Amino acid sequence: MSKQKLFKGGDIASEESAKLQRCDVLVEGGRITRVAPNFTAPPDCQVIDCTGKIILPALFDVHVHAREPGQEQKENIRTCSEAAINGGVTGFCMMPNTLPAIDSAGVVKTVLESAAKCRIPIYTSGAITKGREGKELAAIGAMKAAGAVMITDDGFPVSNPVVLRRAMEYARDFGLIVASHCETMELSGKGAMHEGTVSYSLGLEGIPAISEEICLDRDIRLAQYTGAHLHIQHVTTARGMNTIRRFKEEGVNVTCEVAPHHLIFNHEDVGDYDTNYKMNPPLRTKEDNAALLQGLIDGVFDVIATDHAPHTPFEKNNDFASAPFGITGLETALPSLHHYFISEGKLSWDLIVRRYSAEPRRLLGQRAVPVTEGGTAEFIVFNPKTDTVFTRDFIKSKSVNTPFLDQALRGRVDVVVHAGEVLLQR
Amino acid sequence: MTPRKDLLDIQSLTDEELDFILTNAVPFKNLFKRSVKKVPTLRGRTVLTLFYEPSTRTRSSFEVAASRLSADVINFSVNTSSVVKGESVLDTISTLEAMRTDYVVVRHGMSGIPNLIARNTTASVINAGDGFHAHPTQALLDVFTLKEVFGGDLSGLRIAFIGDIQHSRVARSTNLLCRRMGMSTAMLAPGSLIPRDTPAEIAKFTNWEELYAWKPDVIYLLRVQMERQNVPFFPSIGEYHRIYGLTDERLKRVQDSGIYVMHPGPVNRGVELNDSVMTYERCLINQQVENGIAVRMSVLYWLKPGSVEEVGS
Amino acid sequence: MSSPRALKIAPCIRRVPLHTSTLMPDSAPILTKQDVAHCIGRLAENIRESCSGNELALVGIYRRGVPLAERVFALLKPHFQSLLLGRVDITLYRDDLKNLEMMPKLVGSDIPFDLDGKHVILFDEVIYTGRTSRAGLDELLDHGRPKQVQIAALIDRGGRELPLHADFVGETLNVASHQRISVCFEEVDGEDAVYVREGGRR
Repeated sequence: MSKQKLFKGGDIASEESAKLQRCDVLVEGGRITRVAPNFTAPPDCQVIDCTGKIILPALFDVHVHAREPGQEQKENIRTCSEAAINGGVTGFCMMPNTLPAIDSAGVVKTVLESAAKCRIPIYTSGAITKGREGKELAAIGAMKAAGAVMITDDGFPVSNPVVLRRAMEYARDFGLIVASHCETMELSGKGAMHEGTVSYSLGLEGIPAISEEICLDRDIRLAQYTGAHLHIQHVTTARGMNTIRRFKEEGVNVTCEVAPHHLIFNHEDVGDYDTNYKMNPPLRTKEDNAALLQGLIDGVFDVIATDHAPHTPFEKNNDFASAPFGITGLETALPSLHHYFISEGKLSWDLIVRRYSAEPRRLLGQRAVPVTEGGTAEFIVFNPKTDTVFTRDFIKSKSVNTPFLDQALRGRVDVVVHAGEVLLQR
Repeated sequence: MTPRKDLLDIQSLTDEELDFILTNAVPFKNLFKRSVKKVPTLRGRTVLTLFYEPSTRTRSSFEVAASRLSADVINFSVNTSSVVKGESVLDTISTLEAMRTDYVVVRHGMSGIPNLIARNTTASVINAGDGFHAHPTQALLDVFTLKEVFGGDLSGLRIAFIGDIQHSRVARSTNLLCRRMGMSTAMLAPGSLIPRDTPAEIAKFTNWEELYAWKPDVIYLLRVQMERQNVPFFPSIGEYHRIYGLTDERLKRVQDSGIYVMHPGPVNRGVELNDSVMTYERCLINQQVENGIAVRMSVLYWLKPGSVEEVGS
Repeated sequence: MSSPRALKIAPCIRRVPLHTSTLMPDSAPILTKQDVAHCIGRLAENIRESCSGNELALVGIYRRGVPLAERVFALLKPHFQSLLLGRVDITLYRDDLKNLEMMPKLVGSDIPFDLDGKHVILFDEVIYTGRTSRAGLDELLDHGRPKQVQIAALIDRGGRELPLHADFVGETLNVASHQRISVCFEEVDGEDAVYVREGGRR
């Protein structure tokens, strides 16, 4: 049995209340054995001072590109898991757009074997269609049996509505979530960023908001019709979000996610063709930023997810139109949300706990991990007063394609505890 | 005024810099009247033209400008097939760095390539047209030409752009510069070629009658190409010419109203205009070409290679 | 003093005390308005005496060579049947452009006559290293093929770095190399005067 650890003087965040509770937390053998204000440390106990810091349930990310197999120059499951720990994330779900795609039980097993060697639990999704080509259904049942928790062709939509309808009808009976990357490929064309004033002035082909909204509309109606659980990935527009809001009110089994970068940045940030602001779906407008943030507060968004998408400097150091879509996010998510919203009083800690820890776990059929007596010791200690500078040395991901590279954000993940073990301590 | 390394777009030019370039272009143009048209200003400097898109006019205009300043001009032929093979632009840049050129004149089909090159070289980078983004020297020569025609002050004049505005870097840069000069601008094109979200003060017209009523002083015809997209933006070249082109009939009205005609070249006869335009006395196309050399000399004279650029990425 | 004809004095060498280094911009000029007029008169007179042809052209080097040439032009005009006036902006011919932080704004040259076969006198307010004259000469020769070119300067301060000399000089001043001679003309500077100032070339 491991040594007792006492986390002393921290303020505990929970999804129930915006108010933080100042309590000491005693951890023993993977569980939280005592949560109470200011108690004396038992003898022979390691004391970790958390004064002035926040203790919150460890984060969970349902949208991560670990790039294994096939693109290990960008990332692999191991480095991705270390990046997650570095950002306070103790579990995530991988996307199937690998080479080859995770579209069979065999590949599911392979990636889960790699995942099992990591210090945190990692889940995988499988593709909806073979090779993510949108034509033939992948071996959904077999992948489920091998451990896949979700199906998605992420990176692409399933363009043919008949194929998506069949997938939904089929997955529904296996209890699998169907996740949608909503995009109408013909409307997106060769677009590299949001279609609007900035794309016009930079002379870049645009991805119009309707490209996302039309597909979102279609998918949500298919979910309504088939009764499948649809999870809409990375929503970026106010209109798309309002569609979800409306269908949720009608009782459709739909959940959705928002990425931190779509709350923080907009198309104006692309500036002088900075490819660290190129992702798909693209950064939209300032108005969308505000609407999405309000949607998060209102509860339209079930979860926050990063869409962590590593690419090598060589790939990103290309011209804007040719550079690949995507930025990393696992390590920067919490500090950025803290920097832009929590420390500004725009978001409260209970919302972060609910949307970036509890709900993502529940979405994948896990239990939430509140910091309570008798619960699993699965939490992080966040220091709101110290800056994090995202240097190459700090970043554990293989890739550094983040707008925050060499930037400082207010707040730092100081301690990460998973199953009672301290995985990281600064 | 602080020294500048690159000319990438119109937006980043200050009023002072604009004035510097346009004012200096006058003495440069006067050099053309001398028996010796060359000055020793850039002796020992190297200007490299790096064109990923074919363009005889712009390239030779830069070459003449550079040689009249006594710079050595090197033509870096980019084999488009090696680009297709995936030679990164950055690989080309490191080759250029090794050649120690002082100025690089770039044209590329992708927007933002000159910005990328500029960030990665100490040479001065001049954007000679990138994708749909910008063509700053064209805008400068256009405005220089307008100043010659209308005198120094352009404010209050009206210029209308006609044609593929959506995909025209010329329309972007020249329109922007005209507006900075206090001109009113308008667009006439099929709706599918008019960009969304353009500023409200730019008038948008759907037909020539509306345009005549606006009483433009200048019309600026843009090249119209059919081959750009797999889903065409208009049904046919013939229909375009009939509805939006400067037909002989429309030229008569243009002539009667004394409206000047500009075009960045090369023209598509029978598409955006007819042959007869070329002999119209208020057609400024040849004047634009001549002024192009003077303005490009002025730009080469103004830029400072190797100076620290404050515009980062 | 009023008639240029009265001036028959050879240029003299005026020695400037080395400790003028303490002179402030508002300190007394080394040459006053009257001295300047006197020097210009002397220049004009010398030119009139040595140049008899009809094909005479005065070309001022921008900037202060231009008012100098204009003044001399006004004095000589009555004595010549045809006298031409032009100006050259030598910026594009300078040999030190690379060292400048910013390129100077151009004024442009204006030689409104055919240079071929002309006797040209190039005017500069101060002749020092000879580099300006070199640039002016080069520019002039790009405009045409004059029969003869001579150089006139209001002040010759010595210190030549190139094998050039001034054919006509208003005044010779002997100043230390760390000092600068600053010629002011009414048209440009609001007064006629010559100062010796601290620092810089020229």
